[in-house]
Amino acid sequence: MRDVTGQTAVRARLWDGPTRIVHWALIVLIGFAWWAGETGRMDWHRLAGYAVLGLLVFRLAWGFLGSTSARFASFVKGPAATLAYVRTLPSRAHKAVAGHNPLGGWSVLAILAALIVQVISGLFSVDVDGLESGPLSDRVDFDTGRLFAKWHHMSFSALQALVLLHIGAVVFYAVYKRADLVRPMVTGHSRFEYDPGLRFAPLRRALLVAAAAAFVAWWTAKGLRL
Amino acid sequence: MSFRFGKVAAAGAALGVAMAASVALAHDDLGPIPNTPAGKAAAARHENFKQLGGAFKAIVDQLKKDAPDKAVIAANAQKANALAAQQPSWFPKGSGAESGVKTDAKPEIWGDPQGFAAAVQKLQAATAKLQQVASTDDMAAIKAQVQATGGACKTCHETYRVPEKH
Repeated sequence: MRDVTGQTAVRARLWDGPTRIVHWALIVLIGFAWWAGETGRMDWHRLAGYAVLGLLVFRLAWGFLGSTSARFASFVKGPAATLAYVRTLPSRAHKAVAGHNPLGGWSVLAILAALIVQVISGLFSVDVDGLESGPLSDRVDFDTGRLFAKWHHMSFSALQALVLLHIGAVVFYAVYKRADLVRPMVTGHSRFEYDPGLRFAPLRRALLVAAAAAFVAWWTAKGLRL
Repeated sequence: MSFRFGKVAAAGAALGVAMAASVALAHDDLGPIPNTPAGKAAAARHENFKQLGGAFKAIVDQLKKDAPDKAVIAANAQKANALAAQQPSWFPKGSGAESGVKTDAKPEIWGDPQGFAAAVQKLQAATAKLQQVASTDDMAAIKAQVQATGGACKTCHETYRVPEKH
């Protein structure tokens, strides 16, 4: 638990660099894509979308190949564990978790799922005039492309709701539990009762996965044509 | 592990069902079509604009490819130009929202007939030129003219069409 200074015992590495870069880059790129889409700058909107696709592919792969705290296996928990965690929420004591807590894990999955729908629907979207479209829209007819555009808008609303929920949770932890979740996502380090002993993936692996993700994004942008 | 993947798959399936359910709603954008000349005109206009959008899409689809099919581009440029030529007849008086159809045509179309006619003429000039360049081998010119045609769509829509609600 906490000592008198409100600090727990050890400072240890929590989030690896790639996970943090993906997190903050998604915020910038999604914000930019939103602005570009709303103001009709569709070339920029598509470019931002390809970058989001690359980050998303990387993050999904990193969920299997990355550091412990980035792996789905470490943070996706069943209903019992999630419910047990929910019951601890009213307590103002914060027990640092070495990664996503069970509820946060589901939030990560939900945001990733919304992003998958967002990116895939964008690839097939066609605008109302048939002039602006995603790189794979030639695989579908006009009506289907319009339907994808509707899903693109719907999933963005879902994404906005999930982001608000996420920010709300961060504020809740900061105000109610006096736990700063933002700083570790910037510095990569947090304080724990004892060293959680997380394993971190080597940089070399991150670069390989990033290269593969970049290729997928580039190839998709080219309409899956080489 | 497999237990966890099972759950992720279930979440994905739920999302899929939700998307499939939205298909039924998405095609319902005009509402019931009144059996009146104005109602039918508004519905026909909607169909015509979809044809026009489809023709543009067919051209853009080809431009995305490494080896565009010139015949498809030429045929759809001709189709787009023919549709644009008919466009003034798609807006009979009374075929706005007062027809009972959920149309995006704004009252300004009939309130400012001269401005609207000028906007339609801009499109007609653009599609005429598109049809002309589509018969050449100049891909750069075709791309540029598709852009220009899109500009004609956009400027007209800004004034005379209800903005898309997201």
